[in-house]
Amino acid sequence: MINKTLERSVIVLSWAAASILVMSVAILLGFLFAKGLGTLSLKLLFGSTPPLAAITLRQQVFDGLFPAVAGTFLLVICSTITAIPIGIAGGIFMAEYAGIRQKAFFSLLFDILAGIPSIIIGLAGLSLTIFLHRLFPGRLGPSLMISALSLALLVLPYLIRSTQNALESVDPLIRLTAPALGASRIQNVVKVLLPNSMADIIGGIILAVGRCAEDTAVIMLTGAVAVAGVPHDPLSQYEALPFYIYYISSQYGSPDELASGYGAAILLLALCTCLLIFAFVIQKRLVTLLLYR
Amino acid sequence: MKKTKIRTRNICFQYHKKQILKNISVEFPKGEISAIAGPSGSGKSSFLIVLNRLWEEIDGVNVTGKVEIELNGQMQDIYSGRIDIRQLRRKVSIVFQQPNPLPMSIFKNVAFPLNLAGLKDRERISREVESALKKVHLWDEVKDRLKEDGRLLSGGQQQRLCLARTLVMRPEVLLLDEPTASLDARTAEAIEQLLIQLKSRCTIVMVTHYQDQIQRIADSHFEVVNGNLINR
Repeated sequence: MINKTLERSVIVLSWAAASILVMSVAILLGFLFAKGLGTLSLKLLFGSTPPLAAITLRQQVFDGLFPAVAGTFLLVICSTITAIPIGIAGGIFMAEYAGIRQKAFFSLLFDILAGIPSIIIGLAGLSLTIFLHRLFPGRLGPSLMISALSLALLVLPYLIRSTQNALESVDPLIRLTAPALGASRIQNVVKVLLPNSMADIIGGIILAVGRCAEDTAVIMLTGAVAVAGVPHDPLSQYEALPFYIYYISSQYGSPDELASGYGAAILLLALCTCLLIFAFVIQKRLVTLLLYR
Repeated sequence: MKKTKIRTRNICFQYHKKQILKNISVEFPKGEISAIAGPSGSGKSSFLIVLNRLWEEIDGVNVTGKVEIELNGQMQDIYSGRIDIRQLRRKVSIVFQQPNPLPMSIFKNVAFPLNLAGLKDRERISREVESALKKVHLWDEVKDRLKEDGRLLSGGQQQRLCLARTLVMRPEVLLLDEPTASLDARTAEAIEQLLIQLKSRCTIVMVTHYQDQIQRIADSHFEVVNGNLINR
């Protein structure tokens, strides 16, 4: 009897928790769309500039969000491209090669790194910028590259942990299969363990993409500015959607300006969704290519 | 008298400091099927993984003693530093009790050891895969769906797939851990016939629970009793 009551309570609580989560997301999205949907138009993106001229970079956009969208996209791509190889290599090391003591030591380090507030990472990025500026006066300053490096550092622990967990959760029998067929350790990792952990690793990458796209503290200290246009190289300053949202919401001059902030938030969500879909497609194609063709 | 293929001296096997096998000294003749029986958990499977050093991939296992196997015509101590462990596991290969197809296509599963060995010739790989699948009587069932996931096959088909994957390496010693446990009577009989054919080319050490199977195909019969291997 007690067991049945307990089981029912657990089920009710689980449903309640799931419902609260779904409702929170629905309310958040509903609020965002109610406030910002009206502003969504080509004008919000391109202002008075012809869209084709803006996309082909023939004309600069001064009164639209296109440079911020482009800046955010480039920032996410640069930071994840920097973080993914290091993160996956770190995860492989932790799961497959680290001894017990090394694992404990590095786990502690990665946990500390994961717990560091992003503003501290931003300050570290700023210090790097000042150092590089002194080393190469006039050539290096706050830029897309410094922001991408700082964000890569920010998301590295997530990537390492997700890769490590994915590899460690491979079925022990599957783990033993390739060595039994004459595979070396690295062959086992590359040909069996990594392809079979791809879904979980991509999950970690998706988390990293989201974190890179939304972080404001790091980028405002390392290279994002209110007006810069589309960045032409990694060493230039740039605009970014999270920074724009932060800037507008704290200093808006009219209700229209605030509404454009909500519009920017919807664009940021759309950009993240596109990147996530892209990651899923890559994962599916990669696994099919590696294992079934 | 038959030539010795495998000779063990004082093999002790510990798992997390628990003694599983004690001082096993035994010889297996070349070109024969040797069956090992014994109660569940007595260490039969543990003994098999001593013979190709697969225990080294499992945390908490410690093995002492000496194993000599005749490889490439010469008796060799497999625990000496001169042995290439990958070559050893190709020559002394194992089929597990539980079918373990890799999460990849049927074709890729069987071609996997060839791929590991660095074979690039696609035509030769296809030929070898077809020949191995025919040997285990699986070819007719899968020839039209070689690109399908190997895990989607039935338990018996998976076990034959794993056997084909092992045979494609042309091993000198075949270690089988209850190879017919998940097969129906007809397929099990076909596999038994295959093993009888194979013993002219490789030595087979097989763990089995079935006394009738031992009587049908085994040339020698051992039993694990209290961590010791006794010749019956």
